[in-house]
Amino acid sequence: MDVLLPALGNVLTPMALLTLFLGTLAGMTIGSLPGLSSTMGVALCIPITFNMPPDLALMLLGAVYVSSVYGGSVTAILLRTPGTDASIATALDGYPLAAAGRGGEALGMATLASLFGGLFSVVVLIAIAPPLSTVALAFGPQEYTVLAIFGLVTIVGVASDRPLKGVLSAAVGLVLACVGLDTFTGMQRFTFGHSELFEGVPLLPVLIGLFSVSQAFNLCVPEGGGVLAGKGQQLKGRRLPLWHDIRRSLRTLLRSSVIGSVVGILPGAGTSIASFISYSEARRHSPTPERFGKGELEGVAASESANNAVTGGTLIPTLTLGIPGNAVTAVFVGGLTIHGMIPGPSLFTQHAETTYTLILSLFLANILFAVLGLWLCRYLVVVTKVPGAVLGPMILVFSVIGTYALRNEVFDVWLAVAFGVVGFFMERWRYPAAPLVIALILGPILEVNFRRSMQISHWDLTTFFTRPLSLTLCLLVVLALAYPLWNQWRRRHSSVQH
Amino acid sequence: MKTQSRLARKVVLGAMATILTGGLSTATLAADYPNKPIQMIVAFGAGGSTDTMARIFAKYAEEELGQRVVVVNRPGAGGELGWVHLANADPDGYTIGLINSPAVEVYPFTREDTVGYSLDEIRPLANVITDPGVLAVVADSPYQSLDDLVAAVKDDPESVIISHEGVGGDDHLAALNFAEEADIGLSFVSYNGNAEATAALLGGHITAFEGNMSEAAAQIQEGKARGLAVWADERVEAIADVPTGKEQGYDVQSAASRGFAVPADVPQEVYDTLLAVTRDVVDNPEFRAEMEQLNMPVNPIYGEEYVEFIHDSHDRLKALWEKDPWVEQ
Repeated sequence: MDVLLPALGNVLTPMALLTLFLGTLAGMTIGSLPGLSSTMGVALCIPITFNMPPDLALMLLGAVYVSSVYGGSVTAILLRTPGTDASIATALDGYPLAAAGRGGEALGMATLASLFGGLFSVVVLIAIAPPLSTVALAFGPQEYTVLAIFGLVTIVGVASDRPLKGVLSAAVGLVLACVGLDTFTGMQRFTFGHSELFEGVPLLPVLIGLFSVSQAFNLCVPEGGGVLAGKGQQLKGRRLPLWHDIRRSLRTLLRSSVIGSVVGILPGAGTSIASFISYSEARRHSPTPERFGKGELEGVAASESANNAVTGGTLIPTLTLGIPGNAVTAVFVGGLTIHGMIPGPSLFTQHAETTYTLILSLFLANILFAVLGLWLCRYLVVVTKVPGAVLGPMILVFSVIGTYALRNEVFDVWLAVAFGVVGFFMERWRYPAAPLVIALILGPILEVNFRRSMQISHWDLTTFFTRPLSLTLCLLVVLALAYPLWNQWRRRHSSVQH
Repeated sequence: MKTQSRLARKVVLGAMATILTGGLSTATLAADYPNKPIQMIVAFGAGGSTDTMARIFAKYAEEELGQRVVVVNRPGAGGELGWVHLANADPDGYTIGLINSPAVEVYPFTREDTVGYSLDEIRPLANVITDPGVLAVVADSPYQSLDDLVAAVKDDPESVIISHEGVGGDDHLAALNFAEEADIGLSFVSYNGNAEATAALLGGHITAFEGNMSEAAAQIQEGKARGLAVWADERVEAIADVPTGKEQGYDVQSAASRGFAVPADVPQEVYDTLLAVTRDVVDNPEFRAEMEQLNMPVNPIYGEEYVEFIHDSHDRLKALWEKDPWVEQ
């Protein structure tokens, strides 16, 4: 730990602070634009870091990473156009809040929650990274299978007021998740000869279509634009949530940060699982679950603290084992190796000073985006005053550019537009879109890990119940499913008695 | 009206100029090539091993060419989308790309019905990296050699599970080749990329990991994994303790190679210029040092020899495929 002091010195130089500031600003912008994902933000910055000293280079990448995850919340709340899948759950309550003129408060809560989650995970990273990295290894295919099921169960919470439509939407997502090259057999499934579909239906174009493009259409339709215009006028609303609201959310913040950090450690699990599980857990523990999805600050808090807690979590296996926790950190590994640092235990011995400089700079980047965010809140909310006829086409333009930029394929743009139409009608007919995306994300994780479990256990279905970790997760799934039923039964029972 | 006729004259002049320069193009193009930035297509995502190598190469190539070399990632379909773009690019030398063997020569027959390019549309330029296959087990595994593993499979076929990174990829083919040599049947499980497979190996969820040297070297060097065999002619410097398959009586050769290629109709002069630049970069000790640090073994094969290498590999694998396809049709 005696490297912490020189590392702190490295972080506090003027050049380092400037780099962090620019990285944070860039990250927030990237995160808020549809299609520009955290992964892409970090990848775009790698060539810039070529000629920088390793310390500064890593600081830049780290700052872009953590602040882009936060940036996604801004547009998710104000426009219901989540920049990445990490902030879909944020939009569920953030947008109704903004529509009710409480956008500033929602942004404030999102900022505080992101700060809380981000700092929590960095503390975890500094304090107990090496022992925690074993969690990444303890999870085998069986555990991933059950974790994916746990994620799917959250659909119940997301679509609580119209469960049947939620399940239908999820079913469509699961069917779409079957498309692509089957890596176990090499068989092409439902690709219809389109090479663009070999790796499955690409997630981000679907996400941008269902949320951003459909919202652009909404804003351009006279009665659709009314969702925001009018109500969003009273911008004098609070910028910071009431202390009462923050205190009420403390348990949610802590729980979501733990969930985010743990899910972050698991390679391939993904940020959205963390934010959806946290959201559904927050709803389950809430005394007023019926308010979720209609503008509950605690929902925003759950999702945002979880997705920012993932950032520190993913870096744990990346830095200690050389196993990147997700796509962003895989790109991060590329950035590290270019600067001569091979991820693995040697980072904490040979390159300890640079490594701790990176970790400390993440701490600072979290604080920086929070300060910037709180200050910018006041100006950002003005977006809700822009007429739909102006805002709609702008969102459409950004969506098209963002989708094309993903991998330079026009195919993806058409896909986004098609799903924009689908999303538009889904909303008209009151089918929730989030379950479709959750299923599309979790489908491949579920399928691949189920098949791996079967291959490894030689087709023994009991394998999910004979491993302690997997069994524990199974029980959690049962608990999450049974709790609302039990609650309902208890309420009905007591009302009969009285 | 006057402005209009002036405009018309400009258009005509412009058109004439275009035709003239067009006629001269091959000669002048080659003479002052390159006079604008060159696009380098990487058929995999940013931050991956192919991308990392491409960006380092581009840095040195820029010095030689005196022009910017812009890396463009066109990932998708295991590299196929990027190669389609390379095959269809203007053959003016301003678009070059990386090709990964054996994937690039295998798709034209394994994906016969859907593949978007043919090997005739791409002209290989030079191989740079040859990353041999490695079979590794976790450090506390009871298996010390290939013979141990073979004995275990013969004793109980279900006791050994080997990971690979996709059916028909070089890892999978290497393991199939080994199974054939050893006359055993192996149980496989497919992982999406090196990170997940490494986690599964270190966590004890699989028996052995079939991957490439550059992916496994760090874990082997740190003593977390043990290399049972490297599928090369001779041992590799970075993991010199690991014996070759041949030494142990299993003659399996497998590697993932990364090199450069251009669209087939690129003028010969441009091809020669690019070849010379590639030679200079590969001979640059600084480039070599960076590759060594990344555990990427440099193995240059230039020009016609590389063309032959790709086509030989194509013919060999196609024969294997026709005998026993590894993908269900």
